[in-house]
Amino acid sequence: MVALRQEEMLNLAETAVNSALKRGADEAEAFTYQGLTTNIIIERGQIAKSSRIIDRGLGVRAIINKAVGFSYTNILESKTAIEETILKALSSAKASKPDEDWHSLPTKKTFASVENTYDKKVAELRSEDLVNMASSMLNAAEKTDKRVFPVEGGAGASYLSTAVGNSNGIASFDHGTIIECSLATIGQQGGEVTPICFEFNAERICNVDPEWVGKEAARLAVSALKAKRIETKNASIIFTQFALQQLLYYTLINAVKADYVQRGQSAFKDKIGEKVASEIVTIHDDGLFKGGLRTWKFDGEGVPQQKTLIIEKGVLRNFIYDNYTAKKEGKESTGNATRAGYLSTPDVEATNFRFMPGNKSPEELISEVDEGLLVYYLQGAHSSNPASGEFSVVATPAWRIQNGEIAHATKGVMLAGNVFQVLKNISTLAGNERKIGQLVAPWVLVENVKLIGK
Amino acid sequence: MKDILTKVLDGASQKFGAEYAEVRAQKLSKTMLTLKEGRVEAAKQGIENGAALRVLVNGAWGFASVGNLNFETLNEAISDACKMAKAASPRLKTPIKLVETKPVEDKVLLKPRKNPSAIPIEDKINTTSTMSKTVLGYNNRIKSCTIDYLDLTGTSHFINNEGTYIEQDKLYVWSRIVATANEADIFTFSREEIGSTSGYEIFDIETPENVGERVAKRAVKQLKAKPPKGGTFPAVLGPNVVGVFVHEAFGHLAEADYTLSGSVLSNKLGKKIASNITTFYDDGTIDGAFGSYKYDDEGIPAQKTLLVKDGVIVGLMHNRETAQKLNAKPTGNARAEDFRVEPIIRMRNTFMEPKDYSFEELVENIKFGYYFKNFRGGQANIDGTFQVGIQEAYEIVNGEMGEPVRNASISGNTLETLLNVDAVGKDFELWPGRCGKGQTAFTCDGGPHIRVKGVLVGGSA
Repeated sequence: MVALRQEEMLNLAETAVNSALKRGADEAEAFTYQGLTTNIIIERGQIAKSSRIIDRGLGVRAIINKAVGFSYTNILESKTAIEETILKALSSAKASKPDEDWHSLPTKKTFASVENTYDKKVAELRSEDLVNMASSMLNAAEKTDKRVFPVEGGAGASYLSTAVGNSNGIASFDHGTIIECSLATIGQQGGEVTPICFEFNAERICNVDPEWVGKEAARLAVSALKAKRIETKNASIIFTQFALQQLLYYTLINAVKADYVQRGQSAFKDKIGEKVASEIVTIHDDGLFKGGLRTWKFDGEGVPQQKTLIIEKGVLRNFIYDNYTAKKEGKESTGNATRAGYLSTPDVEATNFRFMPGNKSPEELISEVDEGLLVYYLQGAHSSNPASGEFSVVATPAWRIQNGEIAHATKGVMLAGNVFQVLKNISTLAGNERKIGQLVAPWVLVENVKLIGK
Repeated sequence: MKDILTKVLDGASQKFGAEYAEVRAQKLSKTMLTLKEGRVEAAKQGIENGAALRVLVNGAWGFASVGNLNFETLNEAISDACKMAKAASPRLKTPIKLVETKPVEDKVLLKPRKNPSAIPIEDKINTTSTMSKTVLGYNNRIKSCTIDYLDLTGTSHFINNEGTYIEQDKLYVWSRIVATANEADIFTFSREEIGSTSGYEIFDIETPENVGERVAKRAVKQLKAKPPKGGTFPAVLGPNVVGVFVHEAFGHLAEADYTLSGSVLSNKLGKKIASNITTFYDDGTIDGAFGSYKYDDEGIPAQKTLLVKDGVIVGLMHNRETAQKLNAKPTGNARAEDFRVEPIIRMRNTFMEPKDYSFEELVENIKFGYYFKNFRGGQANIDGTFQVGIQEAYEIVNGEMGEPVRNASISGNTLETLLNVDAVGKDFELWPGRCGKGQTAFTCDGGPHIRVKGVLVGGSA
C-alpha cells in the first residue's frame, strides 16, 4: 500500500466532519493518522527479524448537547465503515450525559514553524539500509568485550502523518519522520549476570550513530559486572537522563497537567508563583524544540504547539493545557493535546519537557561527589504515588561514587523519597543534554537522597 | 475468508520459497469509556480489521501488518514480509526453526451469557457511573475517581502452511477504578482492576457497589498510614502481592525468550531454585479467567504448564521457536495484542499453589514485620532484581496486625527471596491484570498468603 497523500488525508477528515454535522452533531472533529514503519530486530545476538507495519485510520469526535462521543475505524476503503463510524460517534454522544464544562472545539490559529522534523532520506530508507545500521551497532558491541551479550534491539524508521479537521474551520496537515536504533545488553562472567544495560539513539532526521549505541551499551554491561551491596545511608545521587525520565514521568510531569490540577490530584495546585524546585531548575514544555521527538506543528486537536515556561529558576510559572481544560478556566490551550493515533480522544500530555542544562561535564559532576551513586535506570518508578510524589524504587544498574570517582557497580539498592523534595535538592546540572522520550535533560546531581542497601 | 488466506499463503511458498508462512486475520470491535468524577469524558466505540503475516525465509523472520483484508493488499503484504526476511537473513548466524506440531482445524465459538457487544452503551455508562458514585460518595476526603472501561469482541482467523486453520472468537471485559484521597498534605491512591473472558456477567459478581467501596475504603484508610522503615524485615504477602511477585519476579525470567537471553534461570532447569514448599503454574485453561484462551497466536492449544514443582524448576513458557531451540514441547504461550504486532511469549494465568497454613499461623511468630496486602505495580530485571510497589500494607507487631503503612515497596533478588519463603497459606485468590512487554496482554496472577523470612523494604523513615 502506498502512503496516503496530504489531500487524501485532509479529504477524509473534511468528509467525516461534514457528514457528522449533516447527521445532527452540534460540532464535529476528525483526526486521520498514518504510520509506516520498518523495523530490523535483533534477538539474542543476531539480526533475526524484519517487519513492515502499515497502520492508518480515522477517529471522529461528535458533540451533541455538550456530550462528547467518539468512534474510530481503520477500514478507510469502505464508505459504509466510515458512515458507521460517524453514526457510532453520534450514538455515543447521545448515550452520554451533557458536560457543563464543555465549551467548544478549538478555532483556527497560525502555526509557528518547526525545524528538523521531516527528512526525506528517512522516509525512503530501504530495509537493507536498516540492516546495515543494525549490524554495525551489533559489531561495535561485540568488538568491545566478549563478556557482553546483546539481548535485543534493532533499528527502525517511521514516516508519520496526521490531519485534523473540525467544524470551526481547522483543516491542517503535518508529517514527520523518526529514525532510531537501540541495543539492550547484559554482561556475563563466572555465573554473574548484570541487569539489562540499554542505550539508544532516536532522531527526527537521518543522523543517528549506531556504532556509538553499540559501544556504549557494551561498555555499560562490562562496567556493571562485579556489583557489590552498599550500606543504607543518605547520599548524593547523579541521575542520568533515563533515570530522570522514569522518575519524572509518573510524578512531576503529571503534576503540571491542568487535568490533574483541576481534579485536585496535583501537589502543585494553587502553587503558581511559589518556589517548587532548586533555583538552578528551569523547565520549558517546548513543542517547537528543533528536532524534538515530540515536535509537531499542531497537537491532537489542531492547536498550534508552543513553548511554555513551566518552572523558572525554581518558581512554578504555568501548567499545560488541552482545549477542554483551558476553556474550563477561560484560558487558551497550550497545544498539549496528545492522541494515541486514531484510536483515542485527546489527553493532556507534555511535548518536549525540557530541563535546561548547566555547563558542567559529566566527569566534573562525578568529581563533585564524595559519597554517592550514579544511577542509570530505575526499576518500579511506575509504582510511585502520582499524587504525592512519593517514590520507592530500585536503582539498577547503578555505580558507587567515592571521592569523586566511580568505585564499583552496586546491586540491591533502593531509593526512597519524594520527587518534590528531590527537585529542591538539585545542586548541579551537567551540560550533556539529550532526548529520552518526552524528556530533554542533562545529568542532574541531587543531594541528600535516602538510599537503602544492606 | 479461508480461500483468500490459503491463496495468500501459496504465494509465499511458491514465489519466495518460504519455509513457513502464517496469516492471522482479525475483525475487532471495542467499546471504551473514561469517567472522571462521574463525568463521561467520551464514550468511544471502534471497529477495525487487519492482518498479521509472518514468514520464515532462509531461516529469518519477516513480518508485515496491514489494516485491510482484501486479497490484493494481503498478497502485497506477504511479498513484503518475504522480502523483509530475505533482507535480514544474510546476517543470520543460527537459522530459526520451529518445533513440529500437529495441524489443528477448529472453530471456537464463545457463548457468553451476556455478550458485551449486545449490551447498549447506555448500560455500560450506568454500570461505570454507579461505580463512580459509590467511590465519590464513600467519604468527603475522596478527591478524585477515574474509571476506565473496555470491552473487546471479535474473531481471529489463523492459518499456516502446515495445515492449521483456526477460527476463534475473542471476548474481553475489563475495568480499572482509581481513587485518590487527600487530607492536609497527605495524598493517597488506590486502584483495582476487574477483567474477564466470560462476559459482561462479571459485573454480577464484581458489582459496581462492591468494587467501588473496596477502592474508596483503601484510599481513605491510607490517609492515617505511616511510611515504612527501610531495611530487611520478615513479611506476610497477600495473594494479590504473591501473584504479582510470581508474575514479575519469577514469571518473566521463565519466559523462554528471556531465559535464552541469559536470565538468571538459564541453566537452572531441573535444579532447585525455591523453597521446597513452592509450586508455580502458568495456566491458560481456567474458565473465564482474564488470561485464558483456547489456542495461542501460533495455533497451539493453551494448557496448564507446571513451572516449579516443590522448589525445582521443571518447565518454561514457550513459543514454537524457543521450544525447538530448547528441545521442549510448545506450551501455547505465543500471544499478540492484535494484528499490528507479532506473537511473543506471554504469561496467561500465573500462580503459586496453596498449602496448609492459616493466616493467623503465618502472622503469629513475627515480632516485627510487615503485611503487604495489595500491590500498586511491579517490575523485574533479567538479573533477578525485582521491585513491587505496595498500595496497602500494615505493620505486624508481636504476631498481631498493627498500624497501616503507605508508600512501601519491596525488592530483592528473586532466587534469594524464593528460598526465603518459609510458609505457604491454604487460601487462594486470582486477580486480573495487564502485562506490558512492548505489547499489552491480559493476564491473571495469584496464589495464597505466604510468609517470607526476610525481604528488603524501601521506606522513607
